Amino acid sequence: MSASPVQRKTHWWLAALLLGQLILMSVNARHPSSEQSVFRTWMMSVFSPLVKVGDAVISKIGGGFSGLSELRRAKSENEELRQEVERLTIALNESREKAAQYDVIRNTYGLPSLLQYRQVAANVIARDTSLWFNRLTIDRGTLDGVKRDMPVATTTGIVGRVISVGPNFAQVQVITDSNAGVGVMLQSTRAMGVLKGLNNARCEIKNIPSTEEVPEGETVVTNGLDRIYPKGLIVGTTERVENDGSTPWKRIVVNPAAQVDRVENVLVLLIDAKELKLEETIK
Amino acid sequence: MQILKITLTVLLALLLQLLLPKHLRFFRFIELPLIVTVYFSLMRSPMMGMWTGALAGVGSDIIGGGIVGVGGFSKTLIGYVIATVSVKFPLDNPLARLGIVALASAANTIFVVGLYLMLEQSIQHVGAWGEFGATLGLKTLGDTLASIPIFWVLNRLFPDQSQAKRMAIRRRFYE
Repeated sequence: MSASPVQRKTHWWLAALLLGQLILMSVNARHPSSEQSVFRTWMMSVFSPLVKVGDAVISKIGGGFSGLSELRRAKSENEELRQEVERLTIALNESREKAAQYDVIRNTYGLPSLLQYRQVAANVIARDTSLWFNRLTIDRGTLDGVKRDMPVATTTGIVGRVISVGPNFAQVQVITDSNAGVGVMLQSTRAMGVLKGLNNARCEIKNIPSTEEVPEGETVVTNGLDRIYPKGLIVGTTERVENDGSTPWKRIVVNPAAQVDRVENVLVLLIDAKELKLEETIK
Repeated sequence: MQILKITLTVLLALLLQLLLPKHLRFFRFIELPLIVTVYFSLMRSPMMGMWTGALAGVGSDIIGGGIVGVGGFSKTLIGYVIATVSVKFPLDNPLARLGIVALASAANTIFVVGLYLMLEQSIQHVGAWGEFGATLGLKTLGDTLASIPIFWVLNRLFPDQSQAKRMAIRRRFYE
């Protein structure tokens, strides 16, 4: 039995649509830089303001309910915070003293200064839109000076990097995504490795030799060699350290310092990749 | 007019998909564009099914941050197959429709994961067979349960189509 003209037309359309999707896929997969696709920029530029308004409304409603229950905890929390402020004030004074000493040494030996950069604060307006990726959408874009590959952090630690940007939005790949990689080092021993996401709110450091002494609770910072994150930003702390008999490397699980899966506000570090390369070359 | 209404429904589904997972964690396991694709594919027009699938799929790829075309390919095919099957078999029974949503969700998960693996891209929740099985089960359950209220709302937004379905059932019964 032969197909009717309508059926034949439908088959052609199906073939054309599937072929179109295959072309889109191959272009995107071959060039990672094409994540900055025209489709994505157009569509997200339109959606971003709507999502921002919707997010504000939902947050306001949710905040009203949770605010009532949190009021009870506020008193004890206030006391804890007072003690924390006192402790941090002492720590800050110590750090200032150390920084002053470091400046004297740096000037004496002519060492280059740390990279200075501007930051722009952003709100997280969407998260985990797809089950398959760990991504955030923030409400800042090229109009605010945000560019692809700029690091994103909170005051406690790094969150990820910008992978796609439009005029009023940017998509951020978080450090716990299995596709993410960060050059890191252990703060005390300066042993260097590569941080990879484990997709479960934790990360893992690769390439640290099993002979290296790594205590649990050790601070992990960026090493600046990935040309994305400047040196010295806090990443997290080591949570579990194991020796794997089958490889010459340690298995080190890191708990990120920033609450990557719950973060609401972030800072985009306005660092141009060229700027970072120059800085690293000087070092 | 009908095309505009369907396009707006798909865009609304994409907007909600972008907005809700941040506030409701379980929403990660629900894919509104897929449910909308299944709904319009059940209207017995393969052309409508595949175009809705293509739009919803490419849209999900864009908002989800993945490779544009992966979800589009999967949903175009799913839209076409469901529409073609619905022309030949009666799928108006609510239970049959739930079954179709579950099958579509499972097929979509397998297609998407398969395509990403073929393209050598790393994605989460598919580390081992056990983890993949759990993800597949949870996503299928999430999509199927979410389709109940969504289909109810869509039936009210598209009453003409519901009427057409009832007429089609009567025709099949009497002819």
